[in-house]
Amino acid sequence: MAESTFRLRVKYQKAGRLRHLSHLEVVHSCGRAARRAGLPYAVTQGFSPHMKVAFGPALPVGTAGLGEYLDLWLSSYVPSGEAFEALKAASAPGLAPVQVKYVAEREPSLGAALTIAKYEVVMEGGEVLAEGLTSSFAAIIAEGVLAVDHKGKPKVFELASALPKEPDVCTIKERTTVGLAVRIGERGSLRPEALVKAALTRGALDGRIMSVTRTELLVEQDGSWRDPL
Amino acid sequence: MSELWSRIEPLLTGIERPVRYINSEWGSSHADEPYKVALVYPDVYEIGMANQAIQILYERFNVLQGVSAERVFVPWKDMADAMRSAGVPLFTLESCRPVSECDLLGITLPYELTYQNILEALDLAGLALRSKDRTDADPIVIGGGPCAFNPEPVAPFLDAILIGDGEDAVADIVAAHRASIAAGDSRSATLAALALVPGVYVPSLYEPQIEGGEFKGMTALPGAPTVVRKRVLPDLDDYRSPACPVVPFMDVVHDRVGVEVLRGCARGCRFCQAGMVYRPVRERTPDSIVRDAISALSCTGYEEVSLTSLSTADHSGIEEVLRRLTRRLDGTGVTVSLPSLRVDAFNVQVARLLGGGKKTGLTFAPEAGTQRLRDVINKNVTEEDLLRTVNQAFSAGWRRVKLYFMIGLPTETDEDIVGIGELVSRVFLAAREVTPPAERGGMKVAVSVSTFVPKAHTPFQWEAQIPFEEVRRRQSLLRSSMQHKGIDLSWHDSQVSFLEGVLSRGGREVADVIEAAWRGGARFDAWTEEFKPSRWSLAFEAVGIDPTSIANRQRRVDEALPWDHISVGVTRAYLRIERDNALAEKTTPDCTFDGCTGCGVCGSSLVANVLAGERRG
Repeated sequence: MAESTFRLRVKYQKAGRLRHLSHLEVVHSCGRAARRAGLPYAVTQGFSPHMKVAFGPALPVGTAGLGEYLDLWLSSYVPSGEAFEALKAASAPGLAPVQVKYVAEREPSLGAALTIAKYEVVMEGGEVLAEGLTSSFAAIIAEGVLAVDHKGKPKVFELASALPKEPDVCTIKERTTVGLAVRIGERGSLRPEALVKAALTRGALDGRIMSVTRTELLVEQDGSWRDPL
Repeated sequence: MSELWSRIEPLLTGIERPVRYINSEWGSSHADEPYKVALVYPDVYEIGMANQAIQILYERFNVLQGVSAERVFVPWKDMADAMRSAGVPLFTLESCRPVSECDLLGITLPYELTYQNILEALDLAGLALRSKDRTDADPIVIGGGPCAFNPEPVAPFLDAILIGDGEDAVADIVAAHRASIAAGDSRSATLAALALVPGVYVPSLYEPQIEGGEFKGMTALPGAPTVVRKRVLPDLDDYRSPACPVVPFMDVVHDRVGVEVLRGCARGCRFCQAGMVYRPVRERTPDSIVRDAISALSCTGYEEVSLTSLSTADHSGIEEVLRRLTRRLDGTGVTVSLPSLRVDAFNVQVARLLGGGKKTGLTFAPEAGTQRLRDVINKNVTEEDLLRTVNQAFSAGWRRVKLYFMIGLPTETDEDIVGIGELVSRVFLAAREVTPPAERGGMKVAVSVSTFVPKAHTPFQWEAQIPFEEVRRRQSLLRSSMQHKGIDLSWHDSQVSFLEGVLSRGGREVADVIEAAWRGGARFDAWTEEFKPSRWSLAFEAVGIDPTSIANRQRRVDEALPWDHISVGVTRAYLRIERDNALAEKTTPDCTFDGCTGCGVCGSSLVANVLAGERRG
C-alpha cells in the first residue's frame, strides 16, 4: 500500500430488514456507500484497480450485527467526524456506520485481530425453556467437545477454546435470551444457533429461535477483551 | 409502517435469497400518494432490476404530482408457495401493500417466455386472470415493453397495452385514469377513455374476425382507433437518464448503472425486431451522456457505468464520450462498459479506450456463415471485416472472442451451415497467427448458435420457422464442421426457440394455451432448468391448437396478421420490399449514414432521426 494512505476503521450495523443480506451483498453495498459519500478512497494498484477496503468476519444471511467492522483506506485525510457524517448520509439506515476512527497502518488486520464474537439469541419460550437450556449448556460444556453438522459435514469444537465464556440465559415474559461469546479461530467459529440447537436436542426442549444478533466483535489482548476502536 | 411486512418476514427464514423481498435499497421511493402504481416485472428481482425501463418508468411515475409508484417482482417458487400457504398476497416492495390495492398495475412484457409469470403475478395478487372478469374495484392492468408489438397472445389478460415509448405516455395514462376515477366512470368507460390516449391499445375494444377457421383481421369497436400507432419520444434528451436509479443490495444481472445513449437502430438487419420497432434513431448529445453518467455514478456509488443501446458504437460522438468519461473516472476504479460491439476495426479502438488494462473478451455477431446469407439478412459485415477485427483485437492483447450465429435463417442451405464452421476456423487461425506461441493455450473462441425465430413487424414476419427436427439436423451438421481445439460451441435449446416462435407470432387464441400451461405448473420458463416442454405440449393439446401451424407455417404476403392493427411506423409495403430484397440477396443501407430508405417511420409519426453529430461511415 502506498505510504500516503489513511486507514479509517468503520464500526457499522447490519440490522432490521437488512440482516437478510449476505456477506457479499454487505461488501458491495458498503463499497457503494463509500463512493456515494464522496470519500477519497484509495484504489489498489494492479490489473483490476478497485477500492482498498477490508472487512471483519462475515455474518450469515439472517443474522444481525450491531458492531461490525471494516477498514477503508483513504488517499487523503478527512476529519473522522466529517467522514462519519458523509458515510451516514450515504447509507441505508439498516446498514449504517455507528462510529469511525483512524487506526495505525501497523495494526493487525481485522481478520487477524477480531477473535471474540458476542451473540444474543432470542427464543420463543419462558422459564421452563430457560432452565432447561441452562442445564443443557452446563452438560455440554462439561463434556468438553461438541460435534455439529456444518453443511452436511461434521465439525468438532473444543469448547474450552471455542466457547470462552459460559452462556447467560435470561427470560422476560415468554422470551428467552441466550447471551454467549465464541472464539473465532482459523477454522471458523461455533455458530450460536448450532450450540442452542444442540442444547435443545439434549434437553428435549421446545423453543424456536426468533433472531440471532452479533452484538460485539472484540480483540483479545493479554487475557482481556477490548473494543477494536 | 407496512401492512404486510409482519406476515412476510416470518416466511423469509425458510426461503432462498430473502434479499429479493426486503426493499430499503438506496434510491427507492417511499412516497405515499393518493394514486398508486405497481410496476410489475414478470420475473424475479435480480432479473427485473437489471431492466432499464423499470428504472425509467419508476422515476417518470414518481415525479407525477399525487402519484407514487412501487416495484413488484414475481416471487421465486419457494416464496410464492410460502405466500400461498400463509395467505399472503402479492405485495409491492416499498410499502408491502397488497398489489390489488393499487390503482394501476403496469406489467412489463420483456420476453415471450415470461408470459405465464404474468398469470402467476395476477393470481398471487388475487386478481382475475382475464380482463373481462375484473370488476370496477380492481386496478387497471396495463402492459408494455418489447413484446407489446404483437400483444395478442397476452391481450385477454391485460386491460390495456402501451405500444412504444413510455416516458411521455405514462403521464397521459395516469391523467386519463384519474379523470375517469373523478368522474366515477365504470370500468368499461375507463377503458374507452384509455383507448383514446395515443399509443394505448385496449384489447377488449377489438374483435378478431375469423372466417372458415382463418384469421381475417381485427375489427375495432366504435370509438376505438382502427390502428394503434406506437408512441415515439421525439428526442431522447427531452428527459434525463434516471439521475439516481435504485441500487440493489443483491447481485443482480447487469449490476451497474446504465445510461441509454441512443434509442433505435437503422442498420436494417432483416431478422431483427428491435431494429424495426424502435425507429427512428435518437442519439443523446455527448454532453448529456457525460453529465448523466457522472451524476448517476455519484448518486448510486456504482463501480461501473454501461452505455446502453442497440448499437452503442454507432453513436456519432462515442469516441468523445468515452474519452471524456475515462478521463473523469481515471484513478477511481470505476469503469465504463458497452453492451455489444459491431464487427469493425473502429470497435477495437473503442474497446481499447474502454478497457484500460482489462481485456476480458470481445463479442461480435456475424450471424451467418456465408456472404450470401449475410446479404439476405442485411447484416452488412464482410468476412474481411471480421478477420481484420479479430487480427487487431488479438494483436492488441485480447485472447477471447465470442461469436454469435443463427441457424434456420430464410434461404439457408447446408452450405451456409458448413460456412459457419469454416468462418470460425478462419477466425481461429487469424487469431492464432498474431498470438505469441506461449499464450496460445489461453486463446478461446466461443461460438453461440441460436435458432432464428421470425418476428412480427420484420421483413421475415411471413416466413416459416424451421421445425425442430430440422434444427437438430443442422446443429449436428454444424458440430461436425467445427473441430478445432479451443473453440467452444453452445446452442440455444431448439424447443425454447419453437415455443418463442409460437408465442411471438400467435394470435389471441394463444392466450388459452398460456393459461393452460400456467395451470399445469409452468412458471419461470425463461429459466433453462424450469422449462418443461411437456407442460406446453399438454396445454396445446388441451386447447386444441397445433403450434406448428403458427411457428412453422409460411404465410402469404397478403395474409392478415394478428398484429396488423398495431403500427410501429414501418410500413407493410416497406417490409415486403425488404423481403423481396432479401430473396434477391440485395442489401439496404443504413439511413443514418446514407439517404432515406423509405421505411415510413419518419413520415408517419412526425419524427425523424436525431443525430448528435455526423456518423462515421
